[in-house]
Amino acid sequence: MKILMLTWEFPPFISGGLGTACYGIARGLLKKGVEVSLVLPSAQDVYFPLRRPGDVDLLPVRFLDSKKEAVFKSEHYKSVSERLLSLGISSQPESYLEPGFTSSPVWERIVEESETSVSSFRDILRTLTFSEGENIFKKVREMTMRAFRIAQDLDFDVVHAHDWLTVPAAVMVQRMSGKPLVLHVHATEFDRAGGWGDERIHRIEWAGMEAADRVIAVSNYTAEMVHSRYSVDTGKLRVVHNAYEATKEYREVRPRRLFKDPTVLFLGRITLQKGPDYFLEVASRIHDKHPEVHFIMAGGGDMMNKMIHRSASHRLRNRFLFTGFLNHKQVQLILRSSDIFVMPSISEPFGIAPLEAMARGVLAIISKNAGVAEVVKNAYKIDFWDIDKMVETIDRLISHPEEVRRIAREGAKEVHRIEWDIAVEKIIKIYKELSC
Amino acid sequence: MLKIVFYFQVHQPFRLKPYRVLDIGADPDYFDENLNSQVMKKVAEKCYLPTNKLLLELIDKYEGQFRVAFSITGTAIEQFRLYAPEVLDSFRLLAQSGCVEFLGETYYHSLSFARPDYDDIRREEFIEQVRMHRKLMESEFGFSPMVFRNTELIYHDKLSDVIWEEEGFKAVLAEGVERILGWRSPLYAYKSYNHKLFLLLKFYSLADDIAFRFSNKGWVEYPLTVEKFVEWVSRLPLIEKENKNLFLNLFMDYETFGEHQWEDSGIFNFLRRLPGEIFKRPFLSFGWPSDVVDDVNYEPEVLSFPEPVSWADTERDLSAWLENDMQKNAADSFYGILGKIKEKGRSDLLEPARRLSTSDHFYYMCTKYFQDGDVHKYFSPYDSPEQAYLHYLNALADLEERLR
Repeated sequence: MKILMLTWEFPPFISGGLGTACYGIARGLLKKGVEVSLVLPSAQDVYFPLRRPGDVDLLPVRFLDSKKEAVFKSEHYKSVSERLLSLGISSQPESYLEPGFTSSPVWERIVEESETSVSSFRDILRTLTFSEGENIFKKVREMTMRAFRIAQDLDFDVVHAHDWLTVPAAVMVQRMSGKPLVLHVHATEFDRAGGWGDERIHRIEWAGMEAADRVIAVSNYTAEMVHSRYSVDTGKLRVVHNAYEATKEYREVRPRRLFKDPTVLFLGRITLQKGPDYFLEVASRIHDKHPEVHFIMAGGGDMMNKMIHRSASHRLRNRFLFTGFLNHKQVQLILRSSDIFVMPSISEPFGIAPLEAMARGVLAIISKNAGVAEVVKNAYKIDFWDIDKMVETIDRLISHPEEVRRIAREGAKEVHRIEWDIAVEKIIKIYKELSC
Repeated sequence: MLKIVFYFQVHQPFRLKPYRVLDIGADPDYFDENLNSQVMKKVAEKCYLPTNKLLLELIDKYEGQFRVAFSITGTAIEQFRLYAPEVLDSFRLLAQSGCVEFLGETYYHSLSFARPDYDDIRREEFIEQVRMHRKLMESEFGFSPMVFRNTELIYHDKLSDVIWEEEGFKAVLAEGVERILGWRSPLYAYKSYNHKLFLLLKFYSLADDIAFRFSNKGWVEYPLTVEKFVEWVSRLPLIEKENKNLFLNLFMDYETFGEHQWEDSGIFNFLRRLPGEIFKRPFLSFGWPSDVVDDVNYEPEVLSFPEPVSWADTERDLSAWLENDMQKNAADSFYGILGKIKEKGRSDLLEPARRLSTSDHFYYMCTKYFQDGDVHKYFSPYDSPEQAYLHYLNALADLEERLR
């Protein structure tokens, strides 16, 4: 079976859990003999023909233009990251579109096609056209145009797309090729915004779910969200929980603690959705009782400066630190230095970070409604707003380090058993429902 | 008589490198050697070397009648040794001329006694840094300071108690702010609230005409010629009919010459021609801050500074360094750790710690906007006050972990 997979992020460039999940899925599919052709937002007409499990780390590149490919192959790159950066693939893709691209022949053909297509596709294109001034929408449009050319060049059985950024490209490919579309929902705009969010993104998400032949949700929580907010027909809705996969960085990182005293970690985007303000409040109250405890807020985000000022106003001394954005290897290092991981997300469709923390032997305290809470047992599950309960729990754990170690050990064992193989089998079953 | 008292501040901090959380425990070196050496070499070339040379020429030419005072921090001297030893040599030549006075201050240009209500840890640190600085002045220049100036000209009543009791200083410098002076003139000598020390107050309008406005083409008085400036100065003593000795205190950063005001602004020519023009007026001369002890021929009025006054920004208070939460949390964290270092007798950690006491680190964390914010931004090597704060906090976290 051959899959055309569209995603916005993939290791080594990860900003959230999406890239980690796509890596696990792709590797699992390859192990079961499914071929994956991967398309990422880039500055070139390229895709990644993944044929063996090891290809997820090597990321072999294929250009549509063979002359360009020859030039590219003659260049020497020190690392996979460097090679990808040269293709315009990064953790925050920019748009490379020239002004006036709306009149390009490719775009015109896509628009032409949409006229005779379902209304959801027309809706998507209209939304993109109205938002052309914003980089992210421009980038989505660029990916749509590249995918149009790439899909014509490729042979595949199913289109598998991840989240709204790839929806326009995915629906377009589905229309043009007549091949079934599986839309994998890792997060919706409701989760990311921690409130209502951007109306245009809702429209694209809705249209994608409407057009898709199957919708995969990463948790029951997300399935419920997708069903209630976007009215997706339950007949085509499936739940496939994410799993855990030890990466090269996980295996290679050397153990070293930053602090001898207990260290409590927040790891994720510092944005409303992830509840960083709840973490800070908890830290502040723990600090009063246990001034020796270190808190680290790892990640970047729109609320970072606010959190910096607030932690200073709480006079948490040098016990509340910020790392800024971390790459995957640095994440492993910071996990290695932590004892307790707290994820007080307001909305968390799944949440892969707790799995990474638990795998490293870090005790996890997670938001009760997070999707990941549906699959792990050896973690504390607390409502994100229940600061008293979180403080009480951490307070007790700090006084009982042996309990921390015991639960962490159990948690690590448990997570290493949550393998992608099982998730991937469910995904292949979905492909088979569609392609037979 | 009116004496023109030039005092130049010479200071360079040890700037921090972008010290990350993951550097904790792995990198015991917090300071950005590249940046610090680059800045020192640039300022040496643009300011310290040419201005020292010019001052030496003027001292020679006017046969001891042209006099100035310097306050040079320990961190500046250490960086001369590291990155520009020829600057230190030229300061030694100035010291040997006998026409230069050196003032006392904290070795690390610290805020250890910025507020009157500080605890023992900070007060003791203040006294130790003042003593370290005195030793340095004695060993480098053979000069034992009699006059004190605190970091950024920060002064308050309590400070006069400590520097008189502990160190026997005779006079102290401060900013001539209206909220203290009221109707009085900064040209007179004053006494501290405890009657123990002479106070010399900066005449900030004329000092800032040189230090801040000299090259500002939007200023109505631009260009500032020597003739115009000396004309303004010569009119000042006309208000004094009783032959009292007055002091025109022109205090400024030494980097004014060639660094803040570039050479092409004519700042060096201004300085070169100033003494000659001054000496044309028999009632004007140049003096040192310590002259106040012998020159005062009247009973100075007592001035009380209950709250700290500094020479920075329009507020002339502590808001450039110790106002926002980041600055306060950083300072509290720092002195907490410094106290522990001393308690545990970890003298090996004192030097890196004390380099973190320098006021500039706190200045980079300033979030005041408008005009002053721009000045802060110009002088900061970091992208934002938050970045400066985070690097600082991470370095402190490492320092504290090394204590264990």
